[in-house]
Amino acid sequence: MIGLIVRRLVQLPMILLVIYTITFVLAWSLPGSAVINDEGRQPPAAVLEAMEKQYNLDNPVLFYWEYLYGVTGLKWAAGAITNDPDAPSVVFDFGPSFRFEDWTVNELIGSSLPVSVALGLSAILIALSIGLFAGVVGAVKPNSLVDLATLAVALVGISLPSFVVGTVLLILFPVWMGVGQVGSWGRPQDMVLPALTLSLPFAAYIARLTRIGMIEALQSDYVRTARAKGVSMGTVVWKHALKNAFLPVLSYLGPAAAFAMTGSFVVETVFRVPGIGQHFVDAVRNKDLFVIMGVTLIFAGMLVIFNLIVDVMYRWVDPRIEQ
Amino acid sequence: MQRVLIVFGLLIALLGGVIWTDRPLPPADLTLIIRLDYNTLDPQRMSYNHDIRLAYAIYEPLVRWDNLDPDFTIVPAAAERWEVSDDYRTYTFHIRENATWSNGEPLTAHDYAYAWQRAVMPDTAADYATLFFHIEGAEDFFEWRTAQLEAYGDLPASERTREAAIALREEANAHFDATVGLEAVSDKVLRVTLERPTPFFLDLTCFAIYSPVHRDTVERFVSVNAATGALQQDHGWTKPPNVVTNGPYRVERWRFKREMRLSANPHYWSEEFPREETVSILPIVDQNTGVLAFETGLSQWHTDVTVDYIADMIEKKQRGEYPAIQPMQAFGTYFWSFNCRERFNDGRPNPFHDARVRRAFAMSVDKDSIATNIKRSGEEPADVFIPPGSIAGFESPRGLSFDPERARAELEAAGWIDRNGDGVPENAAGEPFPVIELLGSTGSYHDDVGLALGRKWEETLGVRTKVVMKETKVYRQDLKKKDFMMARGGWFGDFGDPVTFLDLHKTGDGNNDRGYSDPAFDEMLERAQRETDPAKRMEILAEAERYTMEETLPILPIWHYNWFYMYHPPTNDNGTPNPGGLRYMSSHQRLVQYIWQVEVVREDENGGAS
Repeated sequence: MIGLIVRRLVQLPMILLVIYTITFVLAWSLPGSAVINDEGRQPPAAVLEAMEKQYNLDNPVLFYWEYLYGVTGLKWAAGAITNDPDAPSVVFDFGPSFRFEDWTVNELIGSSLPVSVALGLSAILIALSIGLFAGVVGAVKPNSLVDLATLAVALVGISLPSFVVGTVLLILFPVWMGVGQVGSWGRPQDMVLPALTLSLPFAAYIARLTRIGMIEALQSDYVRTARAKGVSMGTVVWKHALKNAFLPVLSYLGPAAAFAMTGSFVVETVFRVPGIGQHFVDAVRNKDLFVIMGVTLIFAGMLVIFNLIVDVMYRWVDPRIEQ
Repeated sequence: MQRVLIVFGLLIALLGGVIWTDRPLPPADLTLIIRLDYNTLDPQRMSYNHDIRLAYAIYEPLVRWDNLDPDFTIVPAAAERWEVSDDYRTYTFHIRENATWSNGEPLTAHDYAYAWQRAVMPDTAADYATLFFHIEGAEDFFEWRTAQLEAYGDLPASERTREAAIALREEANAHFDATVGLEAVSDKVLRVTLERPTPFFLDLTCFAIYSPVHRDTVERFVSVNAATGALQQDHGWTKPPNVVTNGPYRVERWRFKREMRLSANPHYWSEEFPREETVSILPIVDQNTGVLAFETGLSQWHTDVTVDYIADMIEKKQRGEYPAIQPMQAFGTYFWSFNCRERFNDGRPNPFHDARVRRAFAMSVDKDSIATNIKRSGEEPADVFIPPGSIAGFESPRGLSFDPERARAELEAAGWIDRNGDGVPENAAGEPFPVIELLGSTGSYHDDVGLALGRKWEETLGVRTKVVMKETKVYRQDLKKKDFMMARGGWFGDFGDPVTFLDLHKTGDGNNDRGYSDPAFDEMLERAQRETDPAKRMEILAEAERYTMEETLPILPIWHYNWFYMYHPPTNDNGTPNPGGLRYMSSHQRLVQYIWQVEVVREDENGGAS
């Protein structure tokens, strides 16, 4: 177990370096300039030139290394050693945002990531509750009316885009029924509709995974033995079958959690959630280089770490898995 | 399974903790919806409309407009009075004795001088730096400082030390004081000397960019870059609790993409303002959500409505069913640009280099039909660039209106005649008129307008067109490289003088995307600049507008912009107060709204409004 954790953590920087390099090449080759305004008045040409120079926008190689120097914490460390007053005040310096001039990428991520993590977590919890329940019910009575109904819900959850689900929920609850408030964020109840919208595709997938695993488990010998010994169906499902049926769900949870917690552009814009998801789209649109790389690195790091957590949990839940 | 439940329980507890520690503030007295969060709270670096409106709430320039007065006159703000010298070149402002910063320190003339110097310094990268070039010596200083930094950058690395960069800054400060006509005569008196008489200078000083900043606060976040010699600023000073303001409001809290929270500045000199104690400003990116949020009572004022069903809302309003949508005439014009250079970037000759061709294109367009059938939200069709009636004393010319006969004659006069009977005009060498690419940016009505224009040109002139929509960044880059044939454009004026529009056509202007260069026009602007008689000056500028809108047409104006707010009117149809409605909103075309002036109609007014 320890070996696994150490191995993964050693791999992490290398994975991030590769991802950084690919992201850098793609972001750099985006057309347009990061410093000119999309609309309205442009600053004098001399000013634009000076800005491009300041951020090394005229020199990709220098840009690549300078960013790496700052984001890895080396610049901070060097500054701390030499007592340089220009040293960054944060250890991992993700740089400034071009579009939102008063904010650094660290601040943007710092304010939006917790929001997305909280929302993503709620979505995953909702998805697990709905998905496991629907999957178990469907598996206990396959092809029954209940099973078909959950199948239908799952299909809708997967195939309906979240801007449709989100808008329908907004019109249904706050606008027609007066429950909740459109555009409000911060109160606990404000999280319900966006979390529900975000959870549906995950819930649908978990429901299908659970159902398949459960049907298989219920047909296995040990379940039949347990039933023959007079153990009730509920106990069999809860104590024996679910344990095995849950394993595929668990391995799906790693990437699912990373996706849910790095936000969704659509859910965030429809419900006005100040999360990190919108930066993925906006930053590319604005060619906001530092933001593009910042959020990509965060997402990649989270993906690796969540997969690691799932692997560790796997061993914890099911001690048979060792290697 | 119990183990899984434990994990579940922990996650739920964590979630509850996160939600519990992150509670919002109670509702504010006035809540606004904006579309995008603010770019910057640094007044010298602002250029976006919503940033500028916020600046008027938290900063106070020396003078301001009376935006409720139809003449848009200029009244005292932080300065209680001012004098103008006989030659109109020297302005002396007297700052109110009781004007203070939000931290209780007195507001001084030095704060203004410091702020305006920041705007002129190329280090600040101010979009509006050129608006300060009317001050004597400012433009020369800008160039001097740019050259100084360049020379410094060429030094060997060993000589570019922190000390050298600090010395460089001191040298620049001394040079500024010696050469630029800006002087804090005393703590409360600021004297400005202009390069030449500039009749709109007072109007400029009303503009947000001319606001002061609190010197000591900003300086704490400024450092010199030893490598380039330039000043660099950490934007931490614009965030509460650091930011110090001198306007009616101070910044209570700024949470990115969540909320801007303002509260009345306890040190503001006026007893009367602000009218509302607390203001909450919510950025809502999704347009549909923004409208729903307003409709369900989250906000009293949606400041920028752009949903595509706006035309239907206006139709409803006309039937008396939807009083909240408020179309406002704006100080701007939607147009399409002609590339005016001799050749396109690919080396082909550019037919639009000939003004006759541009006139032919302009007169083939029925703007009325485009505005009513495509935009459908009440915009005034435009035959001129400067919105008529928006600037006192300026007489708009007529411009070129829809006239297909004359359009065809102009094109023929330019040598483009259908010589082989295929419907497409050819030049004397028999080459057909090139297919005109109409460049626009995605995600708006530009493609529809482009198609309508193209159809008109094909009908009237036989010219083939192709509509090309690109992502905003790419479109912007093509404009900058002048890599287009025709492109959509738009412009909002900044100050109350025709040159805020006309400068766009000046040879080499940074916003002259068209590559239009006409010595006759440049000469007119120069003549206007030298003219000291305001009435005569306006005549020259009116002639410049006529010249570009009737003869040379670097742009083809389509309509004058409308801007759309949502707010409830302050009174019902029967004249009784309408709770939740807004008072003191300006409907002047310049569309300057002072948040501190706005008042929400309350339930209990006049002993309980119904």
